Amino acid sequence: MKQGAPAETSREKSEIKRPVAVRARDLTMDFGDGAPAVDRASFDLETGRFLTILGPSGSGKTTLLRMIAGFQKPTSGEITVNGHAVDATPPHRRSVGMVFQRLALFPHMTAAENVAFPLKMRRYDPRSVPGRVRDFLDLVKLGDYGERRINELSGGQQQRVAIARALVFEPELLLLDEPLAALDRKLREEMQLEFRRIQHELGVTTINVTHDQREALVVSDDIIVMDGGRIQQHARPVELYRMPENTFVAGFLGVSTFVAGTAFPGGLKSGDLHLSGTHAGEIAEGTPVRGAIRAEQIRIVAAPDSLATCDTAFPSRILDVIFEGERLLYVAESDRLPGVAFQVYHHDTEAFDLYEIGAQVTIGWNARDMKIFKSTA
Amino acid sequence: MTSKHTRRGVLRAGMATSGAALLSAMPAGRLLAQEPEKPSEIIVRAWGGEWVDALKAGVSDPFTEMTGIAVRHDLTEDNEIQPKVWAAVAQGRVPPIHINWDTTTNATKSALRGVTEDLSDLSNLANTTELAKPVGLDGYPLINTYGYVYVLAYRPEAFPDGPPTSWRDLLDPRFKGRIALYNDGIGFHFPAQVAGGGSLDDIPDNMEPCWNFVREIKEQNPLLGEDPDFTTWFQNDEIDAACTISTNALGAKRNGVELAWTVPEEGCKFDTDCLWIPKNLPENELYWAKQYINLALSQESQQVWLDGLGLPGVVPGLTPPAGLENDPSYPTKPEDFEHLIRISSAVQVQNESDWFARFKEIMQG
Amino acid sequence: MDALEAALDMIWPRRLARYSGWAMIAPAILLVGILVLGLVQIAEGSLHTLDRSTFLPSEEYTLANYQTIIDSTTYWRVLWRSLLGAGLTVFFTLLLALPYSYIMVRTSSATIRKSLLVVLFLPFFIGQVVRAYGILIVLGTSGAVNDVLGLFGVEPLRLLFNFPAVVFGLVQYMLPFSVLLLAPALTAIPRETETAASSLGANWLQSFWHVVIPMAKPGLVGAGLVVGTLSLTDFAMPAMLGGGSQDFIANAIYDQFFRTADQGLGAALALLLVALGSVIAGVVIAIFGAGTLGMGGRK
Repeated sequence: MKQGAPAETSREKSEIKRPVAVRARDLTMDFGDGAPAVDRASFDLETGRFLTILGPSGSGKTTLLRMIAGFQKPTSGEITVNGHAVDATPPHRRSVGMVFQRLALFPHMTAAENVAFPLKMRRYDPRSVPGRVRDFLDLVKLGDYGERRINELSGGQQQRVAIARALVFEPELLLLDEPLAALDRKLREEMQLEFRRIQHELGVTTINVTHDQREALVVSDDIIVMDGGRIQQHARPVELYRMPENTFVAGFLGVSTFVAGTAFPGGLKSGDLHLSGTHAGEIAEGTPVRGAIRAEQIRIVAAPDSLATCDTAFPSRILDVIFEGERLLYVAESDRLPGVAFQVYHHDTEAFDLYEIGAQVTIGWNARDMKIFKSTA
Repeated sequence: MTSKHTRRGVLRAGMATSGAALLSAMPAGRLLAQEPEKPSEIIVRAWGGEWVDALKAGVSDPFTEMTGIAVRHDLTEDNEIQPKVWAAVAQGRVPPIHINWDTTTNATKSALRGVTEDLSDLSNLANTTELAKPVGLDGYPLINTYGYVYVLAYRPEAFPDGPPTSWRDLLDPRFKGRIALYNDGIGFHFPAQVAGGGSLDDIPDNMEPCWNFVREIKEQNPLLGEDPDFTTWFQNDEIDAACTISTNALGAKRNGVELAWTVPEEGCKFDTDCLWIPKNLPENELYWAKQYINLALSQESQQVWLDGLGLPGVVPGLTPPAGLENDPSYPTKPEDFEHLIRISSAVQVQNESDWFARFKEIMQG
Repeated sequence: MDALEAALDMIWPRRLARYSGWAMIAPAILLVGILVLGLVQIAEGSLHTLDRSTFLPSEEYTLANYQTIIDSTTYWRVLWRSLLGAGLTVFFTLLLALPYSYIMVRTSSATIRKSLLVVLFLPFFIGQVVRAYGILIVLGTSGAVNDVLGLFGVEPLRLLFNFPAVVFGLVQYMLPFSVLLLAPALTAIPRETETAASSLGANWLQSFWHVVIPMAKPGLVGAGLVVGTLSLTDFAMPAMLGGGSQDFIANAIYDQFFRTADQGLGAALALLLVALGSVIAGVVIAIFGAGTLGMGGRK
């Protein structure tokens, strides 16, 4: 676990500390129907950075976003944007651009009229409006589509209009409420890169909400993982992936196999098997723990000898082989760990049909790759 | 029970009820031999409220008692039944009613159109006054059954100095929006002709005086309505005076509204209502419909029916209802008619539409 | 099952299948056909004048009835009053119905929504005539409104029997119809669109004006059309609240059919009303397009 730390420090040092754009302190939203939707969320977001709030549905991520946008008043806690309390001004006076889940474009207007709308509402000099609208349509590569009506545009083009409309008045903050959720995968991935490009070009502080871990990893400078209304971890994408702070984060990003057991110096004990791993923080011996190992970090071989360099290795049997295109996913089980189905990625392009179902293999990993967390209730 | 009456019963009842000559003009033998089959009911179109109550008590109930034939009252507006009857006769269908209780003017239109049965052979016609005979028509395509006056009805408290003596009294500014007329001006045209300085002899050729007076009245923003409206308006204190048939005023008074009526010096329109039978009825139903009208012309029926309406009938010797003796709305003696204006149905039928249109033109402005 | 299908085959053989669509709309066509037949008869009737010596329609065909209408100042006035009344009714009805349906659709309180619905539907169970009587009582010289005014020392006012009273009655009568026609159009506007407008800098009024009203246009046009044509052809409100001097075309038609027995003139007036209503509806649809009314036309 200590490996990640130096990298983090060096990266921190390499960047100039930027002013904080969004500051949330102990934000709580309790609708009074059971557990709070958002529970004491606190974070800082620096100016110009792209933050993604990632979580499954019902995790409170959209509520958090709506509070930041000022559409929902928090039960308690405070939010400041560039030093000003958010709820001090009504939504239409704030400098926040938002791209909505269903885009919320105005169907009775053309693309250009949609983009000009915020400028008119914010009383921009009418002479400057057409030029500005053109610039932002160009920015989203819709220069020739200004006169089209919304229903004459494709899904991707509508996305771009929505982005241009949210950015044209140069807001202090751009909020994205899962706008890509409805798109097919190819278009979604294209738009993810577009978001990234535009955000870099304008340098606008951005908060994105999604349940798509790939999107979060691709577009973000920072990621907040939420579950059950709480912030589970706030980190850069690499850190988050490499050093999850708890089993939820470990399980939500990537494909991991979990092994329950008791803590043991340098690993965990499950049945009579000692598995090498790295403890997340101080864990006393004998504490119930769960170890998480990512699919790409498990090695799989036919002969036990080849895994001599691994800290842990044991024989297993192939339960299933799943072809995923660029790789194979093996599902393997060991007699000594009944009920644990290890998921193992195999990238060896030369030997795609290496093992068949029922084949006897050996799997193993290094101590630094298995993360061991205290079991939560 | 009434349906168990035998012919003899009818005969006895008929004889017993009066000297009424329901059957007297018919030799008994002929009646017994030829009395046609009775329908289970006959349908009489009537006006609602006190109007139908009076008819039921005076004519329909005695008729049922005597003949065993039930009487159904159809309360369709007189103006609305007219095109239905016309259409039925034109298409050779059986008309929707047996007897129409109608204004003489309206009935004259039907008579001119030739859709009414001749009623000259009714025995009780012998006992009627001149009023029963339609003017300007051959024979009896309809029979007038009573007369009525379009009086000036007023709220006494609005006239503390005594009853209005002239229709011109209504032009007083304090009656702005407080007077009511029929919405086609019916009943008002003739007194207006006099009040406007004209002569009744000029009707219909020169009615400018009438229209001038209507224009003056228009400046008073009169309410325009139909029979039921007047009662409602008096009851709800919307109006102080109205040109309306005395029966409506009497009805409102009987309902507890403080009301009086008068015939101003210019006079009031006097007109009649009548009964008639549409063509195309089956023979037997026509027979019994005629018997109904014949009964309506009997003295007892007239007495009860017209007590209810408070109107003078068409047979001599009727006793005026309480309080209406010598009342201007109940003319019986020749001098009573001095201030009443009677214009022949023929003239009315010919010109009514024009008068109506003219009145509307002024009032809808 | 087979027997059933065989029987069905007997009644409606498969080769007729492509006419099934026509069979489905046959009842509607039949109804429209009866209407057209009636119109043809009315048109025929309008070409005969009334002979007042026999009270029979004339034998020969003539346009005299139409000439009578054109020459008559009364009918022009009645026509103008009907149009003005219908126009004002549409304006005020939509003015009131829009906020009403907006609140009904948008409110987060189930109680408010239910109360608004009940208040809306209650008048539906009370006929037009009874409602007009209610207005007669409430606005009468000795009615509730004048009683209240009396408390402030105001002499009883004549609130009834004039043109504003007729328009008031019509608006009151039409409000539920227009709310029912507007509510679906407003429901179809996603709440998010309004949130978006506000995040883009529009205050509530701007968002209502620039976003809600344009997006509710199909409902507004549809409601306006229904309210307009119903008001234009209304009979009861002018008859009862107009005090006899505020006739609409329908009252004039009634008079000709039922008071002067001049069915030819009545027919001509009726045809004129049909033509007027059709022209107005046609113009509205031409301007806004059938698509606006959700009838699938191209914009």
